Amino acid sequence: MTRRRTRGVRTLAFLTACAFALTAGGAGVPLDEIRQVLREQALTAPAESRLRDLDAANLAIGLQAIDPAARYFPRALYRSPNQGRDAMSGIGAELLPSGDDLWLLPFQGGAAATAGLTDRARLRTIDGRSIAGLSLDEIAQRLRGPAGTRVVVGIEDAAGGARRLTIERRSFRPLDVELVQPGAHRILRVREFVAGLTRPALLATVDFIENTGAGQSEQDPIILDLRDATGGDLFEALDIAALFLPEGAQLATLAARGGVTKTIRAPAGTDLEQPLILLIGPGTASAAEILAGILRDHGRARLVGQTTYGKCDSQTDVRLSDGSVLRFTNRAVRLPSGEHCSGVGIAPDLAVDTATLNDLSRLVPRAIGAIHER
Amino acid sequence: MKSPIAWSIVLFALWLSGCASVSTDPREGGLAGGIKGLSTGAYDARIQEREDRLAVLRQVQGELETERADLEYTKAQRKQKVAAERARVRRMNRDIAALNQRVDSLSVSANRNDQRVRTLRTRVPQIQSQSARLQSDLDALEGSGLGDTEADLKRAQLEQQRASLQSEYDLLNQMSLDLAR
Repeated sequence: MTRRRTRGVRTLAFLTACAFALTAGGAGVPLDEIRQVLREQALTAPAESRLRDLDAANLAIGLQAIDPAARYFPRALYRSPNQGRDAMSGIGAELLPSGDDLWLLPFQGGAAATAGLTDRARLRTIDGRSIAGLSLDEIAQRLRGPAGTRVVVGIEDAAGGARRLTIERRSFRPLDVELVQPGAHRILRVREFVAGLTRPALLATVDFIENTGAGQSEQDPIILDLRDATGGDLFEALDIAALFLPEGAQLATLAARGGVTKTIRAPAGTDLEQPLILLIGPGTASAAEILAGILRDHGRARLVGQTTYGKCDSQTDVRLSDGSVLRFTNRAVRLPSGEHCSGVGIAPDLAVDTATLNDLSRLVPRAIGAIHER
Repeated sequence: MKSPIAWSIVLFALWLSGCASVSTDPREGGLAGGIKGLSTGAYDARIQEREDRLAVLRQVQGELETERADLEYTKAQRKQKVAAERARVRRMNRDIAALNQRVDSLSVSANRNDQRVRTLRTRVPQIQSQSARLQSDLDALEGSGLGDTEADLKRAQLEQQRASLQSEYDLLNQMSLDLAR
């Protein structure tokens, strides 16, 4: 199966850092150390010729020829995936390029949401100027600005309705699990899995829904929106899967270099028994699609949306002697069914078209209907 | 020219029609309405109606006052909860910092290749930075610009995350004590 054009969500706050990380080069890159780490620890032993070809000026290209997920981060630009999202100052939304469109994805409680943008919408203009012909970086630059300043965006929602919004930029730290309500049902949205933080935030949010009911009963399904979840800590995703499965249920098998495997099973602990719906799409990647695959294999969740990205491998970050960091693939993840989703993705139980996938007010009723069809 | 008597009749008729309003309110009803209101008891009814309306307004004002007091109480409770949570996170931060120092010394005395030492060396700095993040999130919760619902949800998440980190700290701490023996 060919990989889709839409690739992971790019956070405005990260754009600059990622751009630097991908093009990092120049003097001082510990190339021999990088070669040694990959030679000894990469999931698949790289060809010596590829390792020899690595050079500081074209490191990003050389690394990706060895491992598409490999990245090099100079010390100053590294941000641990276990830190969670930093506080950001700006419009409180992410940009998602998809096909010819650029979508704005608002964070709950952020400036864009406060201005009235509650669901994703296509970005059309910034301060009256069309974004046509502008690069992603230029668009991000125009949206950025200090707290207290304003920007006017022209948007078109998923149903095609156009409007203009004045957004006052401000400092903001997103919730680890968001709770959005496009209609009668509340939806939990996870965008990344952070070690030790996402699972408790999810549990707190489920409790919050129960304690502030608003007509929602314990038998109502939990709807988890993973459409924009690009991954994160694999074990955090496994811990979340375990919340919905009985003790001892197989979660995944991790395969390392040389065929060494380890099977992970659900530990004893909290069990959430409500029906579960996962909203997935091409932006659902890595740890997020592994979570979806595990719960699908156990028949514990109904998957609604579109086929996921297709990356069932896990990466590790190794700190090098100069403080810089090398990220590379060190494990392949097999689902309980034995399936390995890399390059294939996880298919939904109920497929919807792209217009529906982008519109929660249409997607959620379809998803609720899917539970009753079981 | 018409006689003065005819003019007087016309003017008197106009004056009477000005007074003949349907309102029984003496400030509005004119002479005829006022006389009618007083004689039929409609004026008393009007006063009663005003008094009833005033009573309703007073009741609404009382309810608003109670609601305001409830909100103040809720706000004070929220502040109290956040303050208590901040104290718990501060305490946890101190504990984790002490554990981190112990792990540093363990790295010298214990076998560096021991899986437990490696786990401690990896995870303790991580929970230290996550705990510091919780602290800054709690510090920023007041005046964060979040609406009440989001702020309540954020606080609930922070509490659960703190409890989860605390459990992990307890396990790591126990592991470090076992290693030190």
